[in-house]
Amino acid sequence: APGAPPPGAYPGAYPGAPYGGGPYGQPGPYGGPQPGPYGGGAPGGNAPPGVDPEAFSWFQAVDTDHSGYISVKELKQALVNSNWSTFNDETCMLMINMFDKTRSGRIDVYGFSALLRFIQQWRSLFQQYDRDQSGSISFNELQQAFTQMGYNLSPQFSQLLLARYGQRSSNPSIQLDRFIQICMQLQSTTDAFREKDTGLVGNVRLSYEDFLTMVVTRMM
Amino acid sequence: MAFPGQPAPGGGFYQGGYGGAPGGPAFPGQAQDPLYGYFAAVAGQDGHIDADELQRCLTQSGIAGAYKPFNLETCRLMISMLDRDMSGTLGFEEFKELWAVVSGWKQHFMSFDRDGSGSVDRQELETALVNMGFRLSPQAVTAITRRFSTHGKITFDDYVACCVKLRALTECFRRRDAAQQGVVNFQYDDVSELVRNQ
Repeated sequence: APGAPPPGAYPGAYPGAPYGGGPYGQPGPYGGPQPGPYGGGAPGGNAPPGVDPEAFSWFQAVDTDHSGYISVKELKQALVNSNWSTFNDETCMLMINMFDKTRSGRIDVYGFSALLRFIQQWRSLFQQYDRDQSGSISFNELQQAFTQMGYNLSPQFSQLLLARYGQRSSNPSIQLDRFIQICMQLQSTTDAFREKDTGLVGNVRLSYEDFLTMVVTRMM
Repeated sequence: MAFPGQPAPGGGFYQGGYGGAPGGPAFPGQAQDPLYGYFAAVAGQDGHIDADELQRCLTQSGIAGAYKPFNLETCRLMISMLDRDMSGTLGFEEFKELWAVVSGWKQHFMSFDRDGSGSVDRQELETALVNMGFRLSPQAVTAITRRFSTHGKITFDDYVACCVKLRALTECFRRRDAAQQGVVNFQYDDVSELVRNQ
């Protein structure tokens, strides 16, 4: 499996490091949302250097206050799940933070362009794990996703996530936004541990204050 | 070591520690409990409420007082704080606990929101956190303020969400610190518990 770790090392290779591709396949030709009936805007004429023209025209459509930046609120309106619900606040916040180099709580066209590639990679993975193509990921599919990503997580954990984020039913499932949120949080926590575990012993010793600082600065 | 969340001098808010078993048998007089009225009005046949129903319930009860009602995400967070059976819902006993905790937080928030505007600024939030016993680095306070503010101000809803998260993280840490030394060893496999409490 891609990113299969040696014993004792940290699992969790995942796609979409900021501004780059990942181990789960290269970002293909820009395959995000379908362009509207009027095409993608001026053919490359206005896009900043290095920015895909379709990404640029989408950026302009999403930047509703024309500030030159996209906020969490604007991003939320632009992203939908397979059931047409807009992406939740938490996921949008995590993604903005990931691509926001200036720590201002919003992203410019370069960050947005990278974010679109990031989402596309996650969408592909999501579709892969959604084996019955229902548009959402249920218990067995989530368990399998975690295993294939290299995590060793209990069934209770999957159950809890589905109870918390899925609909109330005998077979709850989660949409793309929550799937992205969960995977980002798992990876972020793993990275935080790895950073502290300088001796690579597989555990970290933290004071209460260090623990809080680690979590709030990285993951919230 | 004492963990944050203990009452500040002068008390005024719930100090944490869960009393009562979740979903326990109905107690005599439950039907007369005014809170039960609000709860029963939204709970279905199963006697439990999910985030949507909690939002309705809290709005109808007016617990937010003059402040704006809680948004859905905050309600979801509040459920996860008390959801011991991991069902994504609260029974009446859990709801009562939640009520007590939130009432305490509201008292505390009001003491900082002196102009009654419904929001506090970063300085006031920092003082509020210190008063609750948290000793956070400036870096952590900045991160918390960014995460829980709306246009640079922290509303009552933001404040409750912040308290819920800090409380969950504190509990997560405290459970592992049996000797109460203020230091804990986390294994890699604990990652799921951290994510669960975020």
